[in-house]
Amino acid sequence: MKKIKRILTSKIFVTLIWIVALIVVWELFAFHVEQTKRTPENIQPHLSGIVDSLTSSRKINGSQTALQMVMENAKATLSRAGIGYIIGIAAGSVLALFMSLSGVIEKLAFPYLMLIQLIPILGMAPIINAITGDIAKSRIIIAAILTFYPVAANTLAGFKSVQKEKHELMYSYAANKFQLYTKTMIPACIPYFFTGLKISAPMAITASILVDTLQGGIGLGCLLSQSLKGAMTRYVFWDIVFFSAVIGILSFYLMGVLETILCPYKRIGKKE
Amino acid sequence: MRSHATHCLLFYICERSGLVSDLERNDIEIMLDDVGMVYDGADGREVQALTSVTMDIHKGEFISLLGPSGCGKTTLLRIIADLLQPTSGKVLVGGETPKNARLKRRYGMVFQSAVLYDWRTVVKNIELPLEITHQSKKERHERALKMLDLVGLSDFADHYPRQLSGGMQQRVGIARALALQPEILLMDEPFSALDEFTREKLHIDLLKIWRKTNKTIIFVTHNIQESVFLSDRVCVLSPHPGRLSAVIDIDLPRPRTMDIRDTPEFTAFVSKVRNSFEGV
Repeated sequence: MKKIKRILTSKIFVTLIWIVALIVVWELFAFHVEQTKRTPENIQPHLSGIVDSLTSSRKINGSQTALQMVMENAKATLSRAGIGYIIGIAAGSVLALFMSLSGVIEKLAFPYLMLIQLIPILGMAPIINAITGDIAKSRIIIAAILTFYPVAANTLAGFKSVQKEKHELMYSYAANKFQLYTKTMIPACIPYFFTGLKISAPMAITASILVDTLQGGIGLGCLLSQSLKGAMTRYVFWDIVFFSAVIGILSFYLMGVLETILCPYKRIGKKE
Repeated sequence: MRSHATHCLLFYICERSGLVSDLERNDIEIMLDDVGMVYDGADGREVQALTSVTMDIHKGEFISLLGPSGCGKTTLLRIIADLLQPTSGKVLVGGETPKNARLKRRYGMVFQSAVLYDWRTVVKNIELPLEITHQSKKERHERALKMLDLVGLSDFADHYPRQLSGGMQQRVGIARALALQPEILLMDEPFSALDEFTREKLHIDLLKIWRKTNKTIIFVTHNIQESVFLSDRVCVLSPHPGRLSAVIDIDLPRPRTMDIRDTPEFTAFVSKVRNSFEGV
């Protein structure tokens, strides 16, 4: 009995149940849609249809298969999301560091930090595009802005969470500010920093795709809107939806894996 | 001329080895002269946390600061540690201000919780203060292992703090406080979060470490038995306002063992200390 219970509550089993349940629900709706609508693939196609469209070798725009098209556009979108993500991380963590170092900077910067969070950044895409004059650049900037806030806010929270006694300990060692940060503050806030990374990784990707849809050129979002407008088979749209969902989840887990590699103490602590 | 040079050299050697300064300091490690502390309370009124504490603490002495919460015992410890500035009076540590003593790293601090660094192994935790004073890697490691041996945790050098029990964590905290070889150990209710069995074991261990290292220990506690068992002198502090209401010499023989707690002498000291509280 105990063994069965352990299997039932194990992570892999729970994940499996979720996936199976999702497939079942999806297929039930797909059957229903198939019975009642004339063009079921516009609303909800069968999963088999989506897999078929990815694996088929039929050229849909004269030179590429659906998979090749999705991959080519994904490369453009994901690289922009990645660059924006890294810029956002750098800017966010450096700002958090300065805010922690100086109370004046914290007071000055905090309202702007909140403002960035409140403004619908995606709505500003055309303005940023006009300012930069370059589609690719504007998408990178938007991904960076969206990454920036969670990283800055979480890193700052990490700096603030350091125990008072740790400050006093460093003070009693007559440690200088540089030592205080390198030995105590920065290592202590790494888990918080990673929380920020985990939140913003899927956001950066989603943002890049959404901004793509507002503008032309190459990118998953462009392809998505072309497919929706009927320029190519609707299955491309579904391919992109699933592809980006998987990438979003993977980006989250990638950050988790990175954290366990960089923080061996977390790995060991959990086992005991 | 030559004899003068020799004399200078001799003086220099004596001073470097601490002989001259020892004589000059005359056995008194910490001198508190009319020390007072006034806080600004939340309602704008002044709160007298500590009034007129005057006493001398000798080299190698084990002193307890005992009292209920609000008596100013932690405030007094923090004033000595240079974490607080007294609003009146004077503190001298080895003839210097607490600030200079801190800058010369003459204090080892032990807190109520062990305050270990999760991301460092036990041995790396003890190396932390040695990193700050820029000691070589080899030196650091050797010293840290020696300190670990002193607290009896040699087998756990490469463990992470969260793999240790509360008592073991606090031992690592003590080892870390000793790593820079400070003259004075400041301990702020270090065992109050531990269970009774672990605490009694650590009492014995702390006394052993004290005997081996000859530190001056200032030990803040609210536990009467604990203060009597450990100390040479118990400083009883009373609240409202925080003040030193009695200093009681504990003339129990050393080395002290667990059995001493069952002797009538021990009980007599405990009740003497208890009766010296005012206004609790």
